[in-house]
Amino acid sequence: MIKTVAIVEDDIDQRENYADALVQHGYNVVTYANRRTAFAGMQAQMPDLAILDIMLEDEMDGGFDLCRDLRNIAPRLPIIFLTTRDSDIDRVSGLRLDAWDYLTKPLNMQFLAVRINSLFRIVDSLNNKPTETSEEIESDDVLRRGSLFIDPNSMIISWKEEPLSLTLTEFWLIEAMARRPNQVKSYDNLMQITRQSYVERNTINGYIRRIRNKFKEIDNQFDRIETVFGVGYKWKSNRT
Amino acid sequence: MSKSVRKGLSIRAKLTLVALLLLLIPLMSYIYVRDMKLFLIKGQENALSLTARAVSTVLHDRPELFDKENDRSQTEPEDSDIYVVPLASYIRLDGKIDDWGDQISQASSITESQGDDKKSQIKHLLGYRGSFLYAMFDVTDENLVFRGKEFLRTDNADHIRMTIQNANQPAKRYVFTARESGPMSIYLVDREWAYPITGKPNTEIRAHITATDTGYLVEMRIPRFLVPANARIQMQLVDVDDSEERAIKSLVSTTATSDNDDFGRILLQTPEIDKILKALNRSDTRIWVLDANKRVRTVVGNLSSKPLGTPIAKPEKPLEQIRYYYDRGLRYIFNLILEQPHQQLSDLGNDTETRSDQVLESALQGQSVTDRRPSLDKQTVIIMAANPIWSGDSVLGSVVVEQSSDEVLSQQRRALENVISVTLLVLIVVLSSILFFASRLTIRIRRLRDAADNAIDRHGRIKQQQLEAEARAGDEIGDLSRGVTDMLSRLSQYTHYLKGLPDTLSHEVSNPLNVVNSSLHNLSTEYPDARHSKYFQRAQNGLNRIRSILTNLTEAANLEQAMEAETFTLFDLVKLVRNYVEGYQSSNPNKSFEFKTLTKSLIIDGTPDHIAQMLDKLVDNAMDFALPETDISIRIRRDDEYALVDVINEGSELPEGMQERIFEPMVSLGRKDAQKSKLGMGLYVVKLIANYHGGRVSARNLRTRKGVIFTVWLPIAGGFQEPMKVPPKL
Repeated sequence: MIKTVAIVEDDIDQRENYADALVQHGYNVVTYANRRTAFAGMQAQMPDLAILDIMLEDEMDGGFDLCRDLRNIAPRLPIIFLTTRDSDIDRVSGLRLDAWDYLTKPLNMQFLAVRINSLFRIVDSLNNKPTETSEEIESDDVLRRGSLFIDPNSMIISWKEEPLSLTLTEFWLIEAMARRPNQVKSYDNLMQITRQSYVERNTINGYIRRIRNKFKEIDNQFDRIETVFGVGYKWKSNRT
Repeated sequence: MSKSVRKGLSIRAKLTLVALLLLLIPLMSYIYVRDMKLFLIKGQENALSLTARAVSTVLHDRPELFDKENDRSQTEPEDSDIYVVPLASYIRLDGKIDDWGDQISQASSITESQGDDKKSQIKHLLGYRGSFLYAMFDVTDENLVFRGKEFLRTDNADHIRMTIQNANQPAKRYVFTARESGPMSIYLVDREWAYPITGKPNTEIRAHITATDTGYLVEMRIPRFLVPANARIQMQLVDVDDSEERAIKSLVSTTATSDNDDFGRILLQTPEIDKILKALNRSDTRIWVLDANKRVRTVVGNLSSKPLGTPIAKPEKPLEQIRYYYDRGLRYIFNLILEQPHQQLSDLGNDTETRSDQVLESALQGQSVTDRRPSLDKQTVIIMAANPIWSGDSVLGSVVVEQSSDEVLSQQRRALENVISVTLLVLIVVLSSILFFASRLTIRIRRLRDAADNAIDRHGRIKQQQLEAEARAGDEIGDLSRGVTDMLSRLSQYTHYLKGLPDTLSHEVSNPLNVVNSSLHNLSTEYPDARHSKYFQRAQNGLNRIRSILTNLTEAANLEQAMEAETFTLFDLVKLVRNYVEGYQSSNPNKSFEFKTLTKSLIIDGTPDHIAQMLDKLVDNAMDFALPETDISIRIRRDDEYALVDVINEGSELPEGMQERIFEPMVSLGRKDAQKSKLGMGLYVVKLIANYHGGRVSARNLRTRKGVIFTVWLPIAGGFQEPMKVPPKL
């Protein structure tokens, strides 16, 4: 069954480029230029996944508004924000609206397809349908390290039995570190793991900071992710 | 930046100083009251002059008043007449002559020449006051011999003899003798003056002897009933010089004796004038009537004033006690600044004499005059008015009226007391209100200052756009508060705009960049061969460089945002840097790093991630400029309250004038690697992070070899105190 991906982007060049790339990867693509047409179109026919820009034509937060509206009619629709807006506030707003991922431009088209693929896999696993195994995921095995629980199939990570609300990138970063505890993941490693086109150290630091904060919301004493200054980060194992 | 502020007075002190100007009011009153005093004294003079005129008018054309009792006054006085002067006050028998008043000048003097060229001088005076006669003897005597204890005789020591003979009665002989200084014993004695008639001393007559440097002084008081009007009296001083022989050496009669050996007759003043003047007897005015020979005919009245300010008993009630202490305090102040009126005047002495004489002289020449003279103790001023008494065209005598200016003084004092006490009260009220007002003002201003201080944190970020303090006050402070609020909001808008600028820029560039990026990708899928074209690779490279530039551009702005989200923690800088260098070494094996520290640990308060980011920038910079095959050395040392991190590389030097500028954004020294974008934001980020931690950063050339040293000052936790101390310049 061919999945339908909706792209909402006001810049025609980018929109068409995304569409072409995704069609190449075998998806059915529907494109919209603004919030109104997008909402009307998707209401008529709900896609399997939606990629939204935040700024749509004259609406500064058009993407957020659209996301909110879509959530009302399709609570489980996977939504990815793809935007140039890189502030923490926007990221938090996006995730509050139950977006599955938040990506910043420019993004490597290859990686976009990988992400979309992963997300569909999660949807499938949530629906208990048989899935294809992706090469990117090192193991399908459920991982349990002390208080940490990672289910790579449904992409759920929980700490002390409380699930964390994570983006795809954050999930990959935690998983990569937790799979090799006490081994330093260098910035270069971590950059690869984010599967974005171009990543600076700062961007990694930002991801780690947000991840730590999410853990700390559950457990104020959380200190498992250790900075190895000048190199990268590592997951500290339980002292046993 | 901050100008050095002159340490000034507080608002409170200034207002208090201004309020002290109120003290000019009592000063003004003092000047005014002083002028008023002159005016009052003038008025008093006029009043006295009128009194003198009135008294003299009563006595005009009545020569009999001066004649009747003493018909000899117009002729030569008889030798044997004993003239008795009226006294201004009662005499205390205490061996002091100051209570004899002006009359002491009328004392007559007898010089008795003795053998051996010795001269004994006797000054004596007889006066009366009320129903007493008073006598005073001031005797020069080389050997004062007191009466021996063992002797019964009365004539074997220095003594005074007095004989009183009433008409048709035998004469009474009295001896005044003493065993020591003090009260004398008076005995009625036999004709030979040798033994008392009775053993009992006379108690009606009193006398007092005082030994002086030159001899002795005797004051005595005789009731007038012992000496009736026509009685005759004689007084003799008996001198005994040898305390062994105790023989009478000389005998001096102090009362004139006539040839017929009659005793002197005592002449008292005319009762008629007394009667007339009786009505004028006042306690604060003294009226003299003198005849043309300047003899005092009568004197009435006193020069004492009413007792002033009798001490008030300390009251019981607390409120009244406050008044009591207030009054006492005031009184003390007044005593310091005002002339004091005197209750008992002692106004005798030679210096006053001349002026009285002048007044008298003028009056006797027919003029009506007033004058002032100081009292003897110079404490007050006596006002005198003299007026002649006429009989036809000739002057019979004069009236002199004297009054002390104490009344005026006490009026002046009262006026001033009122003014000063009211002013002091007003001053206290005004001062305390001003202090209250100033304190309130100060507190309000301080509150506003604190609020303004707190609106911007030590990193210069606006924390509060709305000042709560004084915002609702309707006065200028309220305006100031609202003004600051307005300023803050405009500043914050501008800051917001500035902060958003790189973001907006990056946002605008990102979209076309994304177009190129995705187009390249699609191109490569459309023509798979293109992926291997060197041009494709270069386009990809270029894209990455633009992306890197954008990241750098927004890094500084995002950094501040990120740092705000971080909470400071205490950590060991030495450990962090050591780990960092080890880590950096392992990820850059082709470059060698050297780490040196002089201290084991330096705890600082900050965010370790950002310190590491700062080191990234410094080490990146050092690697960019380091010569191949040279070490990059990183050192940690401590300077007082700061931890210092040095990053040193050998290589090209900083050009002149770049030491400071190099930390500004968009300043770059060019680059070695054309592929690496050099936007000049790295060192700016270093500066941002250092400043954010309350430190600073500097760069300079090495002294001994070619190279550059970057130094970061970071305050050591605990050593850091608000307000932030500016680290010392290199």
